[in-house]
Amino acid sequence: MSTDTDADAETDPNSERAREELIELASEFYDQFAEGDVPRMRIPTRTKSNIEYSEEKGVWVLGDRRTTRTAKTKAGAQKLLKAIYTIEFLAQQLEEGRSSTLRELYYLSESWDNEFAQFNDQDDSNGLIEDLEVVSGVTREDFHMRPEESGATLMGPLLLREQTRRGEREIHCQEDVGEGGYQIPNNPDTIEFLENDAEFILCVETGGMRDRLVENGFDEEHGCIVVHLKGQPARATRRITKRLHGELDIPVVVFTDSDPWSYRIYGSVAYGSIKSAHLSEYLATPAAQFVGIRPRDIVEYDLPTDPLSDSDINALESELDDPRFQTEFWREEIELQLDIGQKAEQQALASRGLDFVTDTYLPERLGEMGVF
Amino acid sequence: MTSFQSELGGSGGDGGEGIAEELAGEQRAISIAEFFDKNKHMLGFDSGARGLVTAVKEAVDNALDATEEADVLPDIYVEIEELDDYYRLVVEDNGPGITREQVPKIFGKLLYGSRFGKREQNRGQQGIGISAAVLYSQKTSGKPAKITSKPRGGDARYFELIIDTDTNEPEIDVDRGTTWERPHGTRIELEMEGNMRARQQLHDYIEHTAVVNPHARIELREPGLDEPLKFERATDQLPAETAEIKPHPHGVELGTLKKMLAATDSYSVSGFLQEEFTRVGATTAGNVVDAFRDRQFGREMAWRIPTAGDDADVTAAVVDATANKGAEATDAFGDRVAAELDEHDAVGHGDVSRAVDAAAEAIEEEFDVRLGTTVRENAVAAAWAEVTTVRESDCYRLVDDATTKRKDDAAIEGLGRRVAGRFADAEAAEAGVGDGARDRATRDTLAEWVEWAAERTEERDGETFGATARENVVDAFWARARTVRADPPKVSALVDDRDAVARLLEAMRETDILSPPTDCLAPITAELVEAGLRKEYDADFFAACTRDAEVHGGDPFIVEAGIAYGGALDTEGSVETLRFANRVPLVYQRGACATVDVIKDINWRNYNLDQPGGSGIPNGPAVLMVHVASTNVPFTSESKDAVANVPEIEDEIELALREAARELKTYLNRQRSLKERRQKRDTLAEILPEMADKLTEVTEREPLDIDDSLARIMNNVLVERRRENGHCKLVVENNDDAGVEPEITDICSVDPGEVEGASVVEMDGEWFVRWEPSVGAGETAELVYDVDDAEFEVAVEGIAEEKLTTNT
Repeated sequence: MSTDTDADAETDPNSERAREELIELASEFYDQFAEGDVPRMRIPTRTKSNIEYSEEKGVWVLGDRRTTRTAKTKAGAQKLLKAIYTIEFLAQQLEEGRSSTLRELYYLSESWDNEFAQFNDQDDSNGLIEDLEVVSGVTREDFHMRPEESGATLMGPLLLREQTRRGEREIHCQEDVGEGGYQIPNNPDTIEFLENDAEFILCVETGGMRDRLVENGFDEEHGCIVVHLKGQPARATRRITKRLHGELDIPVVVFTDSDPWSYRIYGSVAYGSIKSAHLSEYLATPAAQFVGIRPRDIVEYDLPTDPLSDSDINALESELDDPRFQTEFWREEIELQLDIGQKAEQQALASRGLDFVTDTYLPERLGEMGVF
Repeated sequence: MTSFQSELGGSGGDGGEGIAEELAGEQRAISIAEFFDKNKHMLGFDSGARGLVTAVKEAVDNALDATEEADVLPDIYVEIEELDDYYRLVVEDNGPGITREQVPKIFGKLLYGSRFGKREQNRGQQGIGISAAVLYSQKTSGKPAKITSKPRGGDARYFELIIDTDTNEPEIDVDRGTTWERPHGTRIELEMEGNMRARQQLHDYIEHTAVVNPHARIELREPGLDEPLKFERATDQLPAETAEIKPHPHGVELGTLKKMLAATDSYSVSGFLQEEFTRVGATTAGNVVDAFRDRQFGREMAWRIPTAGDDADVTAAVVDATANKGAEATDAFGDRVAAELDEHDAVGHGDVSRAVDAAAEAIEEEFDVRLGTTVRENAVAAAWAEVTTVRESDCYRLVDDATTKRKDDAAIEGLGRRVAGRFADAEAAEAGVGDGARDRATRDTLAEWVEWAAERTEERDGETFGATARENVVDAFWARARTVRADPPKVSALVDDRDAVARLLEAMRETDILSPPTDCLAPITAELVEAGLRKEYDADFFAACTRDAEVHGGDPFIVEAGIAYGGALDTEGSVETLRFANRVPLVYQRGACATVDVIKDINWRNYNLDQPGGSGIPNGPAVLMVHVASTNVPFTSESKDAVANVPEIEDEIELALREAARELKTYLNRQRSLKERRQKRDTLAEILPEMADKLTEVTEREPLDIDDSLARIMNNVLVERRRENGHCKLVVENNDDAGVEPEITDICSVDPGEVEGASVVEMDGEWFVRWEPSVGAGETAELVYDVDDAEFEVAVEGIAEEKLTTNT
């Protein structure tokens, strides 16, 4: 368990509410037992087939399908037992104003006296935390659960104030940071945006491309906040992107490789991920637009490519069924990619010169999209 | 040991002595001892170890048959005693005993045994006979067989018997009165060389015999046993008596048929067939005789009637051939013969002959002339000569119709001409021999001719007639040809004509005949198969199956299978396989047996048995039993240790095994589900209390009672007692997904009086109130009665322990 202490935890209304929700959940199980009934937990199914577009919220949210975990089966009883042990742990952590990481929870379970309550693997414990989020309506962050890895970075003309363990800090995300940029904290809700001179936000998948943009001074030249997604973006990255878009009222564009996995990265920024669909409202930026690299770009710019693997093809075909990708743009692009059977990395643009991306590709694409 | 063999032997008319004589006849040049020596491997006496087992087997089989035939529940005692140089074998039964006259026949004459060829399901078919054991004993120890026999209500007699190996004649050396404690029965004592290396086989034999003869009591003593092996009776039900049936025409062999012909009282072949065989009536006999004629005489080829276009004139020919009968009568005779022939589409020699006779008689009457034999013969020859002029053109037509249109016409003509040529050649060759040629040919001869002609045609005309085409041509000729109306040879003539008997046998086999009746079989019955297994194996599960009777060759048979599983059976290695034929265990040559082949070919994984590789003998704690009962079990060899691979029998073995195995599968599935339920209950019983404790802790509330939740979670049937103001209520809550019909007994310390829907029985001051409610899946039943201040104890039957929670 982390020894970090949150100065305000004792009085934090969020963490008090989180604790109450957890105890309430345990009480439900208690009541079911007391009535001679079988304890059970109904959880919305978190699969592709159970997400639906909410017109009202503009994001993809979980549908009505529920799975019921009951103590009638061995697996169900075990799951519930784990949930109750986890509830106990979280309630205690909140009471003590401490926090811990998902990985710590996994290892911590090893110390639990009942071996049926112990987690089999990290996915098991991660999944359980997600279950508790869904059922209690409290986010992981409010349980004081952190991911193991720190958030990604951003760079751009933005002045913000962050509450750190050492008090409040004002940071300018170009002037006060090094080449690496500003480190996004685990809970971006502790940040306050003060001033900015930004025209748009550019979310970049790979570190190499992010560094290229920074080195070429793309952020300064165009008033752009470059957010490094670091692959599938962490919740904090998605949360700060959503807040920047909402509070600064500037467009968000996503720049990734041209392969099915990268489209999912875009999807999770724009529409929310399937696993955290219950938090879409909190994490997703529906207005985010896809810059590229589009399969069309592969053809138009004649980029160096790799052939699609079988798993790439399966992933693309699965995306054709994914409700989040049911737009004309995505259908055309995915079908084109399946036709040409090729994929390309962002770095492939370097085949036209190191400055091609900043001088030609992005200005052209952003112009087309009406961002410039 | 059986007193019935000799009498029964005669009734079928094919007494087994025939076989013995035949065998002995073939061995005439050598002594019977030599014969035995040469054949001891096939008689089961090829080693000392095996000799002892075979002797026991023969003696016990005979004893069982003897007792059953006398309607006595068998009580059989087997003792093997080790003497200085020999073993002494004693087998006693409680059968009817035997008379002095029967002793030498039964024990003495090698290969005597009415069961050879007798159509009845009997053990005796299995062995070559107890006499072989007697001879083996005599040869190896030099001692006579010692026989004690006591008929019911009579006095015991003691005989000593040896076989004169030069004459194959048994001799009784000692015959005196004696005393014997058994009320009736037979005892045989044999001394022989041997050893007990085959002890396991001996024990298997005795044990397996006990399995398939649950009505028998068997006791075995041998030097290796501290305690005698005793197999008690599991049922008092004797096997159903088997009716003897006459042999079926499809089931006899040449030698048997010869003997039957020699022994029958029938005069004609037709009468013989109807008299001596089952399923043969006048019509079937007629069909067989026709088929026999076709083989004996060949068929008579019929040629079409010559027409105006042919260079033939029957009328003129007959007229020319008839001399001195007056022109008017002669002309009329010629016309009449031609007219008679015109009645037919085609005529054979017999038709011509009959036409001439008919015409001659009519003319004799009309013209008052005498047309004697010579005249008629001349007329027949003349008419036949005219008819046969069309041979070539008719053959052409037959060949043309029977072959495809694509054949070259010249080749067809060539083939037809050559076949016609063979008829002509045959006629020429036989001219003047006996009745002369009449264009008769057997199917084989016909096929030869067509073959010959086709080869020539291929050489000369370059057209190939393949096997199918030749076959079609032969068929066409055969179909045109007529069965000869001559009488077949009489039975007396057949006896010494081996070839003719072979033809008769072929005719019998080729004729469609109704399957034999099956009441001659006595299956053990599924019920007793199971009882037998249950008696000898301490297993958890038993299943058995008896198939309906089927027929192979001329013999009906029934296959039965049984399975035992679990319990004290050995879990390591392959399952045990038990093989039986007519209630006799098969001990040797397991690998050659059809039963084992079938077992290996079944995918036992389908039935939840372990079977590495998906074929072969499965593994696990199981016994697989197969019993083949038949009037003639087909064995791979004379030692009768393995059932031959007859497809019909194999199919039935497979079906029987599968039928029993389906029950096994159901059982194993149920066991598995109960096991899973137990595991689940154990796991949940650990998890749920922990869960309840944790919840109490987290919520800081009262400790929880979770029994009812547990019952529901286990899909259990929950029986709960509720008492409210003078009512006693038992609530049966079925949380399972299948209905239950438990038997619930509440033992009450107070008289509850009449209880609706329940039976009340008082015993020693306690009242047993019993309900048999039917509670559907997810339903609840309430059993209510009025009683004050009583003590209760509830007992629930009919629900597996794993599924029941009582909370009373």
